[in-house]
Amino acid sequence: MEIKDLTFSYDKQKRLLHKITAHIPKGKITTIIGPNGSGKSTLLQLLTNNLKTQAGQIIIEGHALQQLKQKQLAQMLSVVHQHNMAPEDMTVESLVYYGRLPYKKAFTSYKEEDEEIVDWAIEAVGLSNWKKKLLHTLSGGQQQRAWLAMAIAQKTPYMFLDEPTSALDIYYQYDILQLVNRLNKKEQLTTVMVLHDMNQALQFSDYIIAMKDGELVTFGPPEEVMTEAYIKEIYGIDVILHEDDRVGKFIVPLKQM
Amino acid sequence: MSKKWLSFIAVIVLLPAVTLFAMVTGSIDITYTELLMNFFNENHENIGIIKDLRFPRIIIAIFAGAALSVSGVLLQAVMRNPLAEPGIIGVSAGSSFFTLLILAFYPSLFFYTPLFAFIGGMIAFFIVYSLSWKSSLHPLRMILIGVAINALFTGLGQTIGITNASSMINSVQTDMSTLTMKTWSDVNIIVIYGSIGLLLAYLLFGWCNHLSLKDKTLHNLGFPVNRARLFIAIVAVLLASIATAVAGMFTFVGLLIPHIGRNLVGTNHKLLIPFSALAGGLLILIADTLGRTLLAPIEIPASIIMAVIGGPFLIFVLRKSGKLYGN
Repeated sequence: MEIKDLTFSYDKQKRLLHKITAHIPKGKITTIIGPNGSGKSTLLQLLTNNLKTQAGQIIIEGHALQQLKQKQLAQMLSVVHQHNMAPEDMTVESLVYYGRLPYKKAFTSYKEEDEEIVDWAIEAVGLSNWKKKLLHTLSGGQQQRAWLAMAIAQKTPYMFLDEPTSALDIYYQYDILQLVNRLNKKEQLTTVMVLHDMNQALQFSDYIIAMKDGELVTFGPPEEVMTEAYIKEIYGIDVILHEDDRVGKFIVPLKQM
Repeated sequence: MSKKWLSFIAVIVLLPAVTLFAMVTGSIDITYTELLMNFFNENHENIGIIKDLRFPRIIIAIFAGAALSVSGVLLQAVMRNPLAEPGIIGVSAGSSFFTLLILAFYPSLFFYTPLFAFIGGMIAFFIVYSLSWKSSLHPLRMILIGVAINALFTGLGQTIGITNASSMINSVQTDMSTLTMKTWSDVNIIVIYGSIGLLLAYLLFGWCNHLSLKDKTLHNLGFPVNRARLFIAIVAVLLASIATAVAGMFTFVGLLIPHIGRNLVGTNHKLLIPFSALAGGLLILIADTLGRTLLAPIEIPASIIMAVIGGPFLIFVLRKSGKLYGN
C-alpha cells in the first residue's frame, strides 16, 4: 500500500493532514503513532475510505483506493473501529457472519464456505466456547476478540485497527495485541493500527508512522523511529530508552523537576 | 416454548377473536352464530348493514395499525433511534397536510390523495433527517426537530381546516382520527397500498438488521448504507402516509408496538416486522372497538384512546431508551 502526498482538511482554516507520503509494507505490522490531534485517526479513516481523499493518492495492490467499489474494497481491507455497536441480542456467531457480507449477494443466504470461514475465525480468536453466547454478556476483551473475528472473516489481505486496546484493561490490551501479532504472522495479514502507548508500539510493530500536527515526522522500523530525540519531537516529553534482555527496548518518560 | 413463539401465538389468536367481537358489537344486535351462519347471505338485512358499516372500519383499523407500527420499526432502524415514529417526527402531519391541501384546492384530484400524502410524508421526513443528521442523529435533537416539524405541519393542516368549510375537509380530521363513515373504496386503497408496503418492509428485514451496526463498520463491509437507508425510509413513509390518508392521524402506535415487540420477539427484524404488523393491527382495532363501545352511543375516536395509552408510555420509553440498542 502506497500513500502519496495525502492532504485532507474539513475547512481551509484547519489543515488536518498535509502531504503525507509513506509506504505500508506487505505482511508486516505498521503502527501509526502521535499525540491527540496529530491526524493519526484521520489518516486511518482515509486509508479505509471512511473519509474521501481531497489531494494525493492511496494505492492498494496497484489500484487507486478511490476507484474501487465499496464491495471490492471490503474484500481487500477489513477494519476494527473504535466504540463498536451491536444489538443486545446478537450472538458472537451472528456478528462474525457480518464478515462474510462483502461476498454475499443481496437477498441470498450464506454458503457452506462462509460457515467454514466463520468457524475458523471464531476458533482463531479463541471464542469457540462462546460462539452461541450473546455478545453483550462477554467481557470487553472478549467482545474485542469477536470484532477481530468479524474482521478476519472478511479474508482480506489488509486489516486496520483503530486503537484496538483503548477501553481495555492491561491484561486484555496485551491479549489483543498478541492475538493481532499471531494473526499477522500466521495469515501473512498486513496489519495497520493506531496505538497510544509508545511501549506497545515499540513491542508490536515492524514499522512505525509517526505523526504530529497533521504532518509525517518520520517513518521506519521502531528502532529508528523510537529514539529519545524523535519522541521529544513527537510528544514533547523527555524519555529514557533502555534495553532489557527479555523485552528488548522500552521507554520510560522522565518526571519534570 | 420460547417467549417469541408464545407472543406470536397470542397475537395470531387474539386478532381474529377481537375482529369477531368487533363485528358483533355495536348498535345493531347480532349474535355470533347469526353472523357466522349468514356471513355470505346477501339478503340478511342486518348482515348487509354490518358489512357496510362495521367491516370497512375493522379492516381499516387493522391495516392502519399494521402500517403505522411497521413504519415505526423501519424509521427506528433508519434513524437508529427507538423514539423515531411517524407521528412524533411529523411524517404523519406532513401527509395529512398535503392530503388536506389537495382536498381544499384541487378536490378533483381526490383519487390521488395517497400520492400527495406520500409526498408530504417524504418532505417532512427529509427535513427532520437532514437537520438531525448534522448532530449524527442525536436522539434528543432528532425528537426536538421532529416536534417542531410536526407542529408546523399540524398547524398548517388546521389552518386549511378552519379556512375551508367544504364537507370533504370536515370528513378528514386534521389532528385526530375517527374511523366512522369509512367505505369499501377506502378499504381498497389501504389494503392494496398497505399490503405492498408491508411486503416490501418484510423483504427489507435483512437491511434493517444491518443498520444496527455503525455506519463505518457497514461501510467497510461493503454495505451501501445510504442507499439502504433511503429505500427503507421510502417504504416507512409509504406505510405511514397511506395509513394517514385513509385513517387519519394516530400517534404512538409506531412507538408502542415496536418497543413491546423488541422485548417479546427480539431485535431481529425478520420476526419484529411481522410481529409489529399483527400487534399494531390488533392494538388499533382494540382502541377503535373500545372507543365505540365504552360510552355508546358516543364514540371516542380511536386516536384519542391511543393518545391516552401512548402519552404515559412515551415517558416510560424516554426513561429507558438508553438501554434499547445496547453497546
